[in-house]
Amino acid sequence: MAEWSRSIIPIIRGFCLLYVTNKYLGTTVITYGPSMLPTLNITGNLLLVERISTRTGKVQPGDIVIFRSPDTPRKVVCKRLIGMEGDQVTYVVDPNNSDECKTIVVPKGHVWVEGDYIYNSKDSRHFGAIPYGLLEGRAFWTLLPRKDFGSLAPKPR
Amino acid sequence: MKQWRIIAKEAIARASIIGKFLCLLHVTDAYVLSSNHVVGPSMLPTLNITGDVVLVEHLSHRLGKLGSGDLVLVRSPLDPKKTLTKRIVAMEGDKVTFSLDPTRSHSSRSLVVPKGHVWIQGDNLYVSRDSRHFGPLPYGLIEGKVFMRVWPPSSFGFLGE
Repeated sequence: MAEWSRSIIPIIRGFCLLYVTNKYLGTTVITYGPSMLPTLNITGNLLLVERISTRTGKVQPGDIVIFRSPDTPRKVVCKRLIGMEGDQVTYVVDPNNSDECKTIVVPKGHVWVEGDYIYNSKDSRHFGAIPYGLLEGRAFWTLLPRKDFGSLAPKPR
Repeated sequence: MKQWRIIAKEAIARASIIGKFLCLLHVTDAYVLSSNHVVGPSMLPTLNITGDVVLVEHLSHRLGKLGSGDLVLVRSPLDPKKTLTKRIVAMEGDKVTFSLDPTRSHSSRSLVVPKGHVWIQGDNLYVSRDSRHFGPLPYGLIEGKVFMRVWPPSSFGFLGE
């Protein structure tokens, strides 16, 4: 009994440390889909995400953020942050069909997110500004594929 | 020199026990059960205005077992640093009828709660700021279900419908 528990304890400690790092420091995510072309591939990227910026409120417009989807709470979505609360955001409502633009002010406690490829992206133009509490982290580095290895530059619009 | 090494080793051993305990406490607090101090008039008469300590469980919302009538702890959509305690009135797909200001008029509005959202209201409709003001709440902002009150001792007990 003692022998078995002696080898389990370091494993539990390892998981504990991994969990705390994952929850409070950073994690990796795999993204797929066309909504962030050309920044991210359609077939998938492995990104490094840090959680400190969103917890301390230091995310800026232009950062790529991951957040819990307001439509499907089990999904985590990756888009670019366009506006913080109080900012005025001008966006193209339906770029496939018309040039119509709308301007809104982002309400208090919310942020506006959009994909880089607005022609095929479900983002704040469809589900509105999302509450800040849904943000989970900021993606700052691409790990895979190898040819895209490097930092993800914030791109102000 | 050797003295310091022994002291350092003992300090690290003691600190790691404390660290392990805090880890366990944190995981329990975030994923199983936690306590919360609730203040304010928006949930009268269910919760007191001067403050109650309630127990919150964090399992139901992860398993999707929340329903209308449940008291929940949610992160405020208006101020991400604050948490609110309100009651779920309608789940996604349900039609909810509400009166924006019960003191002024009898007029009411109806809407269907969109996918991935819930409608929360305080029990004290006259002073509660809830979904009638900030709209349906995304399910991802729910942090736990309030099921029991432990302070004040005179109102110790389970909190139900």
